[in-house]
Amino acid sequence: MLMRRLFIRDSENEKDLLPKAFNIIIAVVLFMLFFLFSIKRLGMEFDFSFLWSFRYRLAQGFAATVALSLASLAVSLLLGFLSALANNSRILAISYFSKVYVQFFRGTPMIMQVYLFFYIIGTAWGVDNRFWAGVLILSIFEGAYISEIIRGGIGSIEYTQLEAAKAVGLKSGQTLRLIVLPQIIKRTLPSLAGQFASIIKDSSLLSLISVIELTQTIREISASNFAMFECYIFLGLLYLTLTFPISMYTRYLESRFSYEN
Amino acid sequence: MRIELAGVSKTFSDRNKALDGITYREDFNVLAVIGPSGGGKSTLLRILGGLIAPSSGEVAFNGNKVYYDEKHLIRYRREIGFVFQAKGLFNHLTARQNIILPLVNVHGYSKTSAESVADNLLDRFGLSGGSHKFPHELSGGQQQRVAIARAVAVKPKLLLLDEPTSALDPELTNEVLDLINELRSDGLNIILVTHEMGFAKKACDKLMFIVNGRLAEWGDSEKLFTRPGTAELAGFLSKVLEWNV
Repeated sequence: MLMRRLFIRDSENEKDLLPKAFNIIIAVVLFMLFFLFSIKRLGMEFDFSFLWSFRYRLAQGFAATVALSLASLAVSLLLGFLSALANNSRILAISYFSKVYVQFFRGTPMIMQVYLFFYIIGTAWGVDNRFWAGVLILSIFEGAYISEIIRGGIGSIEYTQLEAAKAVGLKSGQTLRLIVLPQIIKRTLPSLAGQFASIIKDSSLLSLISVIELTQTIREISASNFAMFECYIFLGLLYLTLTFPISMYTRYLESRFSYEN
Repeated sequence: MRIELAGVSKTFSDRNKALDGITYREDFNVLAVIGPSGGGKSTLLRILGGLIAPSSGEVAFNGNKVYYDEKHLIRYRREIGFVFQAKGLFNHLTARQNIILPLVNVHGYSKTSAESVADNLLDRFGLSGGSHKFPHELSGGQQQRVAIARAVAVKPKLLLLDEPTSALDPELTNEVLDLINELRSDGLNIILVTHEMGFAKKACDKLMFIVNGRLAEWGDSEKLFTRPGTAELAGFLSKVLEWNV
């Protein structure tokens, strides 16, 4: 009976932590065994010890990725919010500008946008600070996704909420501030948190224009000592330390929201 | 309270006439608006509540004309309590916060006095246990009672209710109707759109019967129920009362 409880999900043990933890460990171990077995087959020996000598550069790169991601989060939220408002605008030119923006940036690979925008638009307009150019490119890209998330959030506000706000005597500014925005934030927070994880991962593409962030740091280190695999395995782990807590937080927010409906 | 309607019409953009020249003068305490679905009852109530403007015609209460421009309406809506059919509570606020928000942000109460008004009302309406719950955690009947509490907390001159019980099962319907009846005994002026004929007959002194956007019949509630003057009302009542015990 205990064996069954440990391995099989049913309505009784859904909330139990023991089978959960136990099976997560099994999954992780299996995953690692497969990886290690593949390495064994190739007859490779890994040595991670050299990473310690690069600890300051790695820390700097890590900090740069965090800074890049946070700055891009702020700018892309602003862009996404404006674009979502523009999308609903009654002025057609503004509405279609937003639609074209979203379609273009969601419909093309980021690698193309990075090159095109940095070397053509960036050069033409004299944006030569690579960090801020990177923030801008990443924000424009992620802003298109955030725009859709926020547009969905605005669309999910029921008409009765606005009518009730009117009925109790709120002015339109108050309705936006006290009723609409808090509800949009509550509803879009899970998706926005998930998008933040995407921003962190996508920021790695900025290494293509030599923004010195985590991936670029690792690229430089591996180019100097040819320990490619050690470098990239470690890189993956570093990104996971950032994205995993966010992913957990997203899960938590989602479960809270699904309960409300 | 005296209500005066002069040729009130409402045409929506798709050209269907929701209301077609309603003219009505009456003194009332509790006025029930009845009639078949889609006849324009809710549209009329929204016009009376200042939520939408009539396409033409005039509305006045106690001789004061209602001006349908946003500047006047903002002030007008403050004096009126409005309860919707369902989902009128703010989703992101608890029952207590739903009552407090208009008091603080519209009526200028301090936070502490708004809280004490809210707590008193929740207590009186038997909702103390649910005061910190969000709308989705309350039953339909509790939601409507909170909505009524929010509407009367600001001491409105007139309470408007748009089919407040039509989304509820019979047991919950009665708890909401009992509450409205209690407010009636307190002397609050009420206009409600309802399908609860028993309530319209016993608890409402006046009646408007609206069909296809027109005022088909009106008068004292008790009298119209016992001796409807038109074939339309007689037909409607025989239909809605068919299965009454």
